[in-house]
Amino acid sequence: MDRRKFLVTSTAAAAALSLPTLAKASGGIDIFGLKSVSGNFASYGKFANQGSEMAVEAAGSVIGKALNYRLLDSEGNAGKAVRKIKEAIEKDNARFFNGATLSSTGLAVGKEVANVGGVFTTPVGADEVTGSECNRSTFRWSTPTFGAVEQTLRPLLELDPSIKSAYTITPQYVFGEALLTNTKNVLADKGVEHVGNSYHSLSEKEFSGYITNAAAAKPDLLVLLNFGGQSSTSLRQAMNFGLKNKMKILVVWSAGLDQYKSLGSDILENVYLGAQYWHEVQNPGNARFVELCRNKYGVNPVYPMAGDYIGTKIIIDAIEKAGSDDPAAVISAMEGMTYEGLTGEETIRAFDHQAIKDYYLLKGKAKSAMSDEDNFVDVISSGKSFPDENASLCKMS
Amino acid sequence: MELFFFQLLNGLGLGVIYFLLSVGLTITFGLLNFVNFAHGAFYMVGAYVTFVIVSLTGNFWLALLIAPLVIGALAIALEQSVVKFSYVLEHKYQILVTLGVALMLQELVIMIWGPIGKNVSPPSSLAGIIEIGDFIYPKYRAFVITFSALIAIVVWWGLEKTKFGALVRAGSENAQMVGLLGVNITRLFSITFGLGGLLAGLAGVLAAPLRGADPFMGVEALGIAFIVVVIGGMGSFLGALVGGLVVGVMQSVMSSVWPEGASLMVYAAMAAVILSRPRGLFGRA
Amino acid sequence: MSLELKHCPILIAIALAAFLVLPSISLATEVLIFAIIALGCSILLGYAGLLSFGQAIFFGLGAYVASLSQIHLGVNFLVGLLIATAAGAIVAALVGALAIRRQGIYFVMLTLAFTQLAFFISYTLDEWTGGDNGLLDVPRNSVNIFGYEIAIDSSEKFYAFVAISFVLIFLALLRITHSQFGRTLLAIKQNEERATALGYSVKWYKVLAFVFSGSITAYAGGMYALFLNFAPLSNVELIMSEHILIMAIIGGTGNVYGAVLGSLFLVVVGDMLSAFWERWLFMLGGILILTVFYMRGGLISGLYGVFEFLSQKLGSASTQKES
Repeated sequence: MDRRKFLVTSTAAAAALSLPTLAKASGGIDIFGLKSVSGNFASYGKFANQGSEMAVEAAGSVIGKALNYRLLDSEGNAGKAVRKIKEAIEKDNARFFNGATLSSTGLAVGKEVANVGGVFTTPVGADEVTGSECNRSTFRWSTPTFGAVEQTLRPLLELDPSIKSAYTITPQYVFGEALLTNTKNVLADKGVEHVGNSYHSLSEKEFSGYITNAAAAKPDLLVLLNFGGQSSTSLRQAMNFGLKNKMKILVVWSAGLDQYKSLGSDILENVYLGAQYWHEVQNPGNARFVELCRNKYGVNPVYPMAGDYIGTKIIIDAIEKAGSDDPAAVISAMEGMTYEGLTGEETIRAFDHQAIKDYYLLKGKAKSAMSDEDNFVDVISSGKSFPDENASLCKMS
Repeated sequence: MELFFFQLLNGLGLGVIYFLLSVGLTITFGLLNFVNFAHGAFYMVGAYVTFVIVSLTGNFWLALLIAPLVIGALAIALEQSVVKFSYVLEHKYQILVTLGVALMLQELVIMIWGPIGKNVSPPSSLAGIIEIGDFIYPKYRAFVITFSALIAIVVWWGLEKTKFGALVRAGSENAQMVGLLGVNITRLFSITFGLGGLLAGLAGVLAAPLRGADPFMGVEALGIAFIVVVIGGMGSFLGALVGGLVVGVMQSVMSSVWPEGASLMVYAAMAAVILSRPRGLFGRA
Repeated sequence: MSLELKHCPILIAIALAAFLVLPSISLATEVLIFAIIALGCSILLGYAGLLSFGQAIFFGLGAYVASLSQIHLGVNFLVGLLIATAAGAIVAALVGALAIRRQGIYFVMLTLAFTQLAFFISYTLDEWTGGDNGLLDVPRNSVNIFGYEIAIDSSEKFYAFVAISFVLIFLALLRITHSQFGRTLLAIKQNEERATALGYSVKWYKVLAFVFSGSITAYAGGMYALFLNFAPLSNVELIMSEHILIMAIIGGTGNVYGAVLGSLFLVVVGDMLSAFWERWLFMLGGILILTVFYMRGGLISGLYGVFEFLSQKLGSASTQKES
C-alpha cells in the first residue's frame, strides 16, 4: 500500500479514537479512584470502587464545589496504574487520589502523586508506604503489620495462657517477613516457644505440605501470616487436616467479610482472625457507613469498600477543613486531623501520615450461633498499636 | 525422616489429582494432535458447577455424578462450535484459539458468580480425619486418592480393552487410516474431546472441597497439567500417571526442603525433560 | 524509492498522529513503547514462525537493567538503554539457542518455563529488583554531548525521545525484514526442510531472530521503566508474555505496521472499554479466536482489505463518471 493511503487511514482511525476525549468535565473537584476492576484482582477492585463512589455521592459537594468521582482501572497491573495516574495528572490536572490494591502499585503511585504535590490515600498492606518510602503526599489508612500482630497475637496469648508453643506459615517476601518478625517479638516477649516456620512462595496454591510440617511440630497455636487467597486456601486445608481439633489457629491478616463469606462458618468456627474492619462494630461513623451501604447495595460492607470509602472520605473532610482545594492546604489539614472513622475516632499522624485506628481480634462462631447471615464472628478485642516516631523508618523530606 | 515419609504420602495424594487433571489433555493430544489451553477452564467450570449443585441440594455425590457430565457436554459443544475447525491448524494457532476460549470462560464465570471465590464443603460423611499414630490425613483426601485411582483404572481399561479405546489408540497412530476403515472419525474426535473435558471437570469436582472454586484456578491447573503431560510424554496415559505422581511428590517434598523454589523446580524439571528427553518419559518417539 | 524514504514519513506521521490525537501524551508514549514490543514479538512469530511465551523475560530484563544502570552506575539514559539492549541480546541468544532445540508445543513450553525462571530470579533478587514491591525511584539521567545537556525530564521531551526511537527501530526492522535475512526467515517459516536442504543454517537464523526480538524488546522495556520511573515485577510475569503475544497477533504479525495497530488496540481500546465494561477481556478472548480463524493477518490485513475494497469502489465510480 502506498504512503498516502496509509496516512489517510491512520488519521481517520486516530480521529475516531479521539472522540471520547471530547466528553470532558467540570468546574468541580475531581477525586480519582484507582481500582483494579478488571484483571486478576477484580475481587478487590469492584468493592473498593463502590466504596469511593459512596463517599463521593454521600458528600455531593464540598466548599461549595461539586464533587466528581472518576474511576481509573489499574487492570491489576502496577505499570498500567502508574501510567494512568500520569495521564490523569497531565490531562485533567488531577490532584486527589484514593485506592490501589497491590503494595507495588501503592508505593509507585505515591511517588508519582508526590511529584506534583497531590494527595493520595491508600489502604495497601506495605509498611513502606508510611515507613521507609513515606512522602508528603501519601496517607495510609490500614494498620501496619506491627499493630496487626500486637492486636491479635498478644491479646490471644493473654486470653489463653495454655498456649506454650506456636508454629508460623509465612509467605516469603517483605510483607510476610514483617509479620514474621513482629510475631517472633511478641512470642519471645510472652515466653511462648516458636517451634517452627514454613516459608512459601507467593505463587503457592497447595499448602498440604506446609500443613503437614505444622502438624508434625505439634504446636499449641498455628499462626497464618499469609493473606488473601493464600490465607483462605491454607486455612481451608488446615481444616481438612483436622488441625482445628489439635491446636488453636490465628490468621493475623484476614480480609474480612468477603473472605468469611467465601470460606463459610464451618471453616471459620473457633478460628481467631485479625481484621482491619468489621461492619458490626458500634460507632457513629461506622453506623452511617453501614446504613449508606445497605441502602445503596442492600448488603453489609466488606473491607475493600470500607478502606476506600474512608480513604476517599478523609480527602473530602480535609478539603472541608482546609476550606480550599489547594493540595498543599489539604495535606496540612489532613496532618493531625481527627475524624469519626469506621473504627471509632481516628487520627492521622503528622510525621508519617499513618491513620491511627483500631485493629480487631475476631473469633469465628458456629453456624447455629450466627444472628444473621453475615454474623460470622465475635469481636474479642480491639485496639491501636503503632510503632512510635523513634522506631519509624519514615524520614519525611 | 518421618516428616519426609508424610510428605511422600501427601505428594502421592496430590499426584493422583494431578493425573486426573492431565489425563484428558494427554488423550486429546494423542488422538487429535490438539493442544488445548482451555483444559484448565474445564476444571474451573467443573468446580463452579459443583458449587452450584452443592449449594442447591446440599448433596456432593449428586455433583460428582452430574457436574462431569455437564462439563463433558460443554466440551462437546465447544468442540462443535470452535475447536473442530482448528484441528487442521498448527499447534501455535490451536494455542491461540484455546487461549481465547479459556479467557472467555474465565470472564464469563466472573460475570455469573463474581470475582470472589466460593467455598464447597466436603460431604459430611468424609469430613473428619484418619489418624494412625502421629500420621494424620483427611478422610476426604483419602477418598479422592481412592476414587482417582479407580478412575485411572477405568480410563486404562477403557483405552486398552474396549472397541472405543482401540479406535482412540489406533487413531493416535494414524487418524487417516482409521477414517479409511469406515469409522466416523469426526464423531470419534468429538467424543474423545468431550471425555477429555469430562475428566478435567471431574478433577474440578474433586478439587472444589480442597481449595474452593475461584475464577483463576483454571490458569493454575493448566500450568500443572501441561507440566505433567510434558514430563510424562504427550499422548501417553502412563506418562500422565507417572508425571502426575512425580510432580505431586516433588511439590510436597519441596515444601519441606526448599519451599520458595517449589514452583520453580517443577518448571525446571519440565525444561530439563524437554531438553534431554523431548518425548517425555513415556512418549512415543 | 528506497525503503527508508518510503517508510520514514509514514512512521513520523504515526508518531505525530499519536501525539496529536490520543487523549494524553502518556497514553501516546505507552502506545509507541508497546508498538516496539509488539514488533519484537512479531519478528519471532510473523517472520520466524516462533510462538514464544518468553517476551516478558526481555521486557522485564530491559526494565531492570536500564533502571539499575541509572541508579547504581549513574550512566546517562542513552547509555543505560544501550546496556539494556545488549543484555537483552545476550539473554535472548541464550534463551533462543535452548528453546529452538525443540519445536511446536515443546518449544512453547520451554519458553514458558524460562519465563517462570526469570520471574523467580527477579522475585528472589529483591535487593536489586525490589522484589514484589518493584524497583522504585528510577531516575532519567541526562546526557551531556559536547557541553549540551540533553534531559528527558518532561513528558513532552520524553515522548519526543520515544518517538525518535520508534521511528529508528521500525526503520531498522524494516531494513532487516526486507533483507536477505528476512526473506530467508520467511522461507524457513514456510518450509523448514526445504530451507535446510538449500543449505541454510536454520538454527542460526532462528537464534538471530531471537536476538533482534530480545534486544528491541529490552530497549522498549528500558524506556518503559524510565517512563514510569518504576520497574514493577509484573513486567516479568507470564501474563505479560501473553499480553504481548495477543497484542502482536491481533495487530497482525506479517507486517511491521500490524504492531502499531495491535498496541493501539490493546492499550487505547482496552483503556476505553475497561472504564465502562469491567469484563472486557471476555471480548478480547473472542477477538483472538476470530483473528485466528478469519483474519490471520490481524487488524492490519483487515485494514488493507478495507482499502482495496474502497479503492476499487472509488476507482469504478470515477471511471463511470468519465465514461
